[in-house]
Amino acid sequence: MIVGSQKPIDEIWNMVKDFKKVLVFGCNTCVAICHAGGEKEAETIASLIKMKASQEGKSMVVNHMGVMRHCEPEYFEPVIDEVKKYDLVLSTACGVGVNFLSDRTGTVPVYPGINTSFYGAVEAPGDFKELCAGCGNCIVHMTGGICPIARCAKTLMNGPCGGTNKGKCEISKDVDCAWYLIVERMKKLGTLEKLSEIQPPRNWSTSRDGGPRRISVEHIREYEATEEAKGGK
Amino acid sequence: MATQDTCIPTEYKPYGADIKETRPYSPCRAACPAHTDVQAYVGLIAQGKYTEAFEVITSVNPIASVCSMICHHPCEQSCRRCGVDEPLAVRHLKRFAIEQSRDYRRAKRKLVQKTKNKSVGIIGSGPSGLTAARDLANLGYNVTIYERHPVLGGMLAAAIPPYRLPREVLKEDIDDVVTKGIEVKTNFMVGKDATLDDLMKKHDAVLVAIGLSLSRSLNIPGVEGPGVLLAIPYLEDVAFGRKPKLGEKILVIGGGNVAMDVARSARRLGVKNVEMVCLENEQEIPAWKWEVDEAVEEAVKLNYRWGPKAVKRVGDKVKGLEVTKVLSVFDANKRFAPTFDNNVTTLLEADTIIITIGQMSDLSFLKNSAVKVDERGRVEWNPATQMSSAKNVFVAGEVVTGPGSAIAAVANGHRSAIAMHLFLQGESIEGKLPVQEKEKISEMPSEVVEKIGKQPRTKVRHMAPEVRVKTMEHFEEGFTEKEALEEAGRCRGCGGGAVVDQKKCMACLTCLRVCPYGAPVVEAYSTIRPEYCQACGLCAPECPAEAISMVSYDVREIRNTLPTLVGKVDPKRQEPMIVAFTCANHAGILDLDLPKNVKSIPVHCTSRVDVLDMLKAFEVGADGVAIVRCGDGNCKYKDIAPRVNARVKRVQDLLGMLKIETGRVEILSAASNNGGNPYSAACKEFSERVKTIGMRAK
Repeated sequence: MIVGSQKPIDEIWNMVKDFKKVLVFGCNTCVAICHAGGEKEAETIASLIKMKASQEGKSMVVNHMGVMRHCEPEYFEPVIDEVKKYDLVLSTACGVGVNFLSDRTGTVPVYPGINTSFYGAVEAPGDFKELCAGCGNCIVHMTGGICPIARCAKTLMNGPCGGTNKGKCEISKDVDCAWYLIVERMKKLGTLEKLSEIQPPRNWSTSRDGGPRRISVEHIREYEATEEAKGGK
Repeated sequence: MATQDTCIPTEYKPYGADIKETRPYSPCRAACPAHTDVQAYVGLIAQGKYTEAFEVITSVNPIASVCSMICHHPCEQSCRRCGVDEPLAVRHLKRFAIEQSRDYRRAKRKLVQKTKNKSVGIIGSGPSGLTAARDLANLGYNVTIYERHPVLGGMLAAAIPPYRLPREVLKEDIDDVVTKGIEVKTNFMVGKDATLDDLMKKHDAVLVAIGLSLSRSLNIPGVEGPGVLLAIPYLEDVAFGRKPKLGEKILVIGGGNVAMDVARSARRLGVKNVEMVCLENEQEIPAWKWEVDEAVEEAVKLNYRWGPKAVKRVGDKVKGLEVTKVLSVFDANKRFAPTFDNNVTTLLEADTIIITIGQMSDLSFLKNSAVKVDERGRVEWNPATQMSSAKNVFVAGEVVTGPGSAIAAVANGHRSAIAMHLFLQGESIEGKLPVQEKEKISEMPSEVVEKIGKQPRTKVRHMAPEVRVKTMEHFEEGFTEKEALEEAGRCRGCGGGAVVDQKKCMACLTCLRVCPYGAPVVEAYSTIRPEYCQACGLCAPECPAEAISMVSYDVREIRNTLPTLVGKVDPKRQEPMIVAFTCANHAGILDLDLPKNVKSIPVHCTSRVDVLDMLKAFEVGADGVAIVRCGDGNCKYKDIAPRVNARVKRVQDLLGMLKIETGRVEILSAASNNGGNPYSAACKEFSERVKTIGMRAK
């Protein structure tokens, strides 16, 4: 899932202070799970903005709302007219949601209420950990199921580097060395010999380096296009 | 109009009523024939909301005061706390709520506008008649009650001895009903003062709710003659303060609850020697166990497993009852079919015998009427429509259901009222009357039982037996406020717990991780299993999607009422505005001696206080917010404190971002004081601390 964290209230305040009617709009999927931007947190941010406005002597209407996802139109379409009544939408969805919604609110700006950080897992309640970088060319079958792109500070394909130290990365004692984990894991799996093969330099064009990406699932797109042509959609 | 799912047209809709109707009932509510929402009103009592509790009770029960004294309380018998320690003292809690609401209910009585140009006549003013009268008056009909006694109430007024039901208590219920604008004709005997045909012509519909007013007698030698009385005439004498003619040694035949009334009232009339004889043994006896126990305490002697054979007399005078040994009472199919050993007989000496073996209706007024009576002397009726064989005559209560409880008659009265309303509106009735059997939540799983702390049932104080037999006065004391709050706090809120909105839930597992009782199951979305849920409220404030609501209370209520509660904050105030979320558990809200600057919000448990509730308090101008929780070891739930601590920490962090001093929010423990009300003392100390921080500018 996509993991994010709330922006500090001062930063949010600087974004919203010149608007009269603000909607804090929560997204109840990924960012709700990480307690950053679900409906509950949207309401919390709305409350903080109201208090800040009061402190600053500003008169401002601040409401909150939430839908299941900001990244699929069917979820927010039922409330889009309501959303458009505001001067500003502070979306607490991930960057995907903010972008997507922003294209669909006409003249109403959509600003981000949270920082979108990574694709991660729930290590423990309240503890979220980056495990994938979305590089577009998965190779974890060669690395014991552990991704060196996302989890090695240097994204090394032939690790570890000299910075490995008793299983930790040189950048912080709190960060595991991904290559230490890979070696240990592959020992357990009995596939350690695979690591003797040197990986050639990667082609990064499948990742961000290749520019913005788009995936079309052809059989679905073809069906949809036919339906649209028939006027069914 | 009531639907199939609700018991009755009601003036009051408790929170969550809509959700509740679609969910399994708590066992207490399912067991109550009128489906009184026990869990809801007990929860309201626990928060000090007594009049709200009264509304919940009386919304389905027009004789709530009566039931608070005499109900056999099937709710208690089915209480899931039985599996933990002892059932909740529900009847006593009901009594407490009603006693606290006396002025409220009196002030609230008013005439109901007669919006329907139709009239109904109700024959009989016992539980079923009064219920139908209230419902139909509420619906705007012209209602007339015909009662053969000088006062309303049926058997409640004319047979139940005052030591069980003080008449001023009954009067409160009757006044509630009558002030709706019901015409009352007392001392009116249908069959004598008017015929049923007269009433059928006069009214658009008639309800026969005459109950069982005749005692059955025994067909044994010697039964005719002086010294042998029937229960109902005897009880009527007792009820109306007339002295029945009794000897010095009384034998009551019968083992039911009416027999207990007869025997126990005889003791109160000064008869020292009162015995009872019944076919059944101690396990089979139909009277409630507490009735038997209390009778024994009052020195009533019970003779089990003897069948009456003949009344023995010397001349005219009764000498005793010849009885024969009972071998069995029920057959293999549990049907009443007593067998006797005629070789074993004995004489139970007595100078007065009172026969209390059952009752029947006085149907003499139905002779030559359109209402048919079957060959066994019972009114013909259709339970699906509550109708008799005559087209505008309906029936309700024990005249058709046979002997039962007052609250069962209430439930049947509601059915008749709905049926009559449908009939009078020209609608069909079949299939539209409420379903009596309700789905209920199952037994508490053993892994949950283990997590619940034992807390003994609050004892009910009775007058000592030797004192109470000297008076007809009511012998049972009501709860004090402290007792009521503590007892209400024992309720586990069965069926009143968390419900997940499937449209909002994204199956994030937060509730699963939070719940101390293992109630949630998460698949495509979370489902909170009602048989596990203890309604503590811990999960709802944690849900990141705000997908959890509670059946028994509005999770947003605090946030919504805070602006009104705090009001306009005086910019020149000398004392800080403090909002205190106070745990009502262990009577914590009692005797709160709080200065005016502290606004207390009683909560069932501080687990219900959301981060947003605390923020809202600051938003509306509070200078300080306190969570006042019950003392260590007192919490009725599990694992609450760490979660509440975490929420307060979060609020402190958020306040920090706004440069608001974090000392303005604190958790206070009621254990931290030295005398007086611990909650008040803790709040006062906190208020002083906030004062040193200063008033918030905005």
